[in-house]
Amino acid sequence: MGMIRLAILNFKSGFKNYLSLVMSLAFTVLVFLDFQNILYSDAFEVLGTRNWEYVKLLIQTTSFVLGCFMVFFIWYSTNVFLTRRKKEIGIYVFMGLSNQKIGRLYLIEITLIGFSALGMGLVLGMLVSGLFQMILLAISDLTVEIRFRPALRPVLVTGAVYLAIYMVFAGKGYVNIVRSSVLGMISAAKQNEYVRQKYQILLIKAVLGIGILAYGYGLAMKEGSVSVIGNVFAAVILVTVGVYLLFGGMIPLIFQILAGRKSFLYGGGHTLWINSVIFRMKKNYRTYAMVSVLMLCSVTALAMGFAMKGRYENIVQFENTYTFQLLSSRNDLDQQARDLIEKESPIAVSSRIPILSLDQSLVKARENYSKYAFTSYSHLRQLALDTGMELNFSEPGEDEIFKISHLYLLSLITEQDNVKIEINGKAYQQTGDSDVPYLGYLQEYMSFYVLNDKEYEKLRSLGEELMAYNYRIGDQKCFAKIRENLDVLVQNTEENHTARVAIDPESNEIDWIKVLYSICIFMFLVFILASGSILFMKVYNDAFEEKERYRILQKIGTDKKVLRRAAAMELLAAYGVSFLVMGISSLFSVGALGKMMFTNLIGVNLISVLVVFVILAVWYCLSLWAYERNAGIDSCKTMY
Amino acid sequence: MKNNKVAEIRKLVKDYGVKGFQTKVLKGIDLTILKNDFIAVMGPSGSGKTTLLNILSTIDKPTQGTVMLDGQDIAKMSNKALSGLRRDKIGFIFQEYNLLDTMTLQDNIALPLSLGGVSGRECIRRAQEFAEMFGLKEHLQKYPYQLSGGQKQRGAACRALITEPEIIFADEPTGALDSKAGRELLECLKRVHEDGQATILMVTHDPFCASYARDVYMLSDGQILCRISRGADRKEFYDRIIDVQTSMGGDFSWE
Repeated sequence: MGMIRLAILNFKSGFKNYLSLVMSLAFTVLVFLDFQNILYSDAFEVLGTRNWEYVKLLIQTTSFVLGCFMVFFIWYSTNVFLTRRKKEIGIYVFMGLSNQKIGRLYLIEITLIGFSALGMGLVLGMLVSGLFQMILLAISDLTVEIRFRPALRPVLVTGAVYLAIYMVFAGKGYVNIVRSSVLGMISAAKQNEYVRQKYQILLIKAVLGIGILAYGYGLAMKEGSVSVIGNVFAAVILVTVGVYLLFGGMIPLIFQILAGRKSFLYGGGHTLWINSVIFRMKKNYRTYAMVSVLMLCSVTALAMGFAMKGRYENIVQFENTYTFQLLSSRNDLDQQARDLIEKESPIAVSSRIPILSLDQSLVKARENYSKYAFTSYSHLRQLALDTGMELNFSEPGEDEIFKISHLYLLSLITEQDNVKIEINGKAYQQTGDSDVPYLGYLQEYMSFYVLNDKEYEKLRSLGEELMAYNYRIGDQKCFAKIRENLDVLVQNTEENHTARVAIDPESNEIDWIKVLYSICIFMFLVFILASGSILFMKVYNDAFEEKERYRILQKIGTDKKVLRRAAAMELLAAYGVSFLVMGISSLFSVGALGKMMFTNLIGVNLISVLVVFVILAVWYCLSLWAYERNAGIDSCKTMY
Repeated sequence: MKNNKVAEIRKLVKDYGVKGFQTKVLKGIDLTILKNDFIAVMGPSGSGKTTLLNILSTIDKPTQGTVMLDGQDIAKMSNKALSGLRRDKIGFIFQEYNLLDTMTLQDNIALPLSLGGVSGRECIRRAQEFAEMFGLKEHLQKYPYQLSGGQKQRGAACRALITEPEIIFADEPTGALDSKAGRELLECLKRVHEDGQATILMVTHDPFCASYARDVYMLSDGQILCRISRGADRKEFYDRIIDVQTSMGGDFSWE
């Protein structure tokens, strides 16, 4: 029989066993293809060029992340396949097949699997592409008509990326088989040796793991300026390594200590599951660590999605504090402006405040802005009184300054302590900041500070004092008409500068944030589905190995209920520990995100962890069902 | 178990196959096992030894006849009750040891007690006591892969005996052992039996192994052909078993 025919026969007969592998690979292809489809579709173009540029950037970044995920997933799947096939096809050694021939057999089989997954992924991806875009737009709360237009380019890009990664790992497997010793190949089927590991090694790994994790968490939470991006990157690597060492060291150590306490082990009937966990942890700790990290990505993506949605809504509210703002060198425009507005609509909120504009050459601050604006505490207090906004800080001292900030989407400068600003050679200590929208939209486009009244008076002569007039109209429908009316005030002469800012309540200027939100939710789903399916695949396959063990237990009369409980506990340990590590780590990853957004995300964190918990609980139940079935706990008829 | 009877088999028949194509494996067996018996069942391949053991150990059900264990007819018992019977009243020793490879020897021996809800301290005490009796005390913290075949089988015997079952069923217990390891195991079983701690029913093809029993039942073509009882001398008993085997003919090799 020829190699190809033998491989096809193997592929056909084993297809049912490898279906989960093919499905998960097809899933990664599907996700990647559907993101590529967005890039080449016109669905998001209706958001306007600026938004579309942002969305394109988001999709490209997401595609890169998905590409990395694809590498990881293919690496994992081909590894699982290699280990299983090595055990089975190792037997061909006895038939006189050389390693090269066995390797070739493996290569043909894995190529067939790879192409099946690619085909399945592409077809399903094309079919659900429109649906995917609809879901994405629906989550983003955008109304766009979707037209399904199959395009060749996304298919080619996806196929090329997938095949390039896949064939590298298939080739790696081939080399592995060719280089395997005959003994190694045969003994791949032998297992269960060295169940317990040396305490000293576990202890070293545990201490290292905790140390590295703690350092990683510390870096993630560390405030800083330009160093933040480096810190975050280092924290990601350190947490990944730390989690890996935790599963390779501390967790097996805890279970081995428990197994050593025989009174506890025997007394509570923990013998079966604790010993199984030790055995499984030795074999699967890399998988559990990977799943924990994936779940951490998932929960962080979800938290980011929730936070982005909240931040989008707040920014919209922030920007719409006022509908019209006038910035003028004249201080007598208020009545004129009111008359022009009130011709069309009543005024809901209004305020005015003098602000001192200083040239950037006079100011040295951590963040470089082209314009720096200052006002006095008394002026701001008056504005707060007029608008009903809160003023929750007291007047700064002579050497102090207070920052009036805005809502950041994300900022890599997280350091808030000991910030100094130098104005005309004098250093002021920043005592705090506030994101109350005193100046509304204008506040987003300038660096705005509050000074002590006396200090403000001293600085007045250094720059130009402008008056900011702010109005929110009662009837939004009159927006366009009032904008036209106010245009008569706009002037740009030597004696009179007056600028008008109009904030359209219907503006979709920052709609791309909504897409970011839905992409975060989507990434969350991808990661959580991947985490769940990896654990499920692992449990599904392990159960076959456990079959013999459960058969013995049934033979010696162990009650089915006891076996079920042991299986449930064993799986609970795998899922529970991964979830616990993810939960603790998420406090830091979401905490770091909160720092970058200058907000407390603990509530968002808890909700996200809860969502992951519910999804994981469903995976757990599915896994338990498959495990009981595959391990033969359900059927205890033929024992001999 | 009542009246000193541990098990009682009456007119046991077992058929395999579908209607019209049935094979009779057991053709009306009668056997009574009393407390502290040590019985070996021998017979050529296909004589029905393993089927008899399977039925006795409640893993298979008879076609006709009755098998009374613990005073109850096993054909009328629910699966749950049978499982409980296996756990509490029966001990098993299998040819392939069947120790759990993820546990130490001590965990394996203590397992039935632990699963039965016995206190941790008692589990440890009993496991150590049996390990001492079977010469395994130094190996308690080892895993099955670190033990020899003989040690594994003695460990399996400890596990079977630790719950002090009414009867031990041993299926070719020395089948996978070399002669020295086989002898060591049999000596241990003999000692336990002589101490009055166990009733044993052993299925074997090996006359040497059977010579450790007190009575040997020869099975042929689904029926008990004869019963040979041991005198004072094991060697002489062994010779008699060989004589009967020779006179019966057939393939006595290991199934």
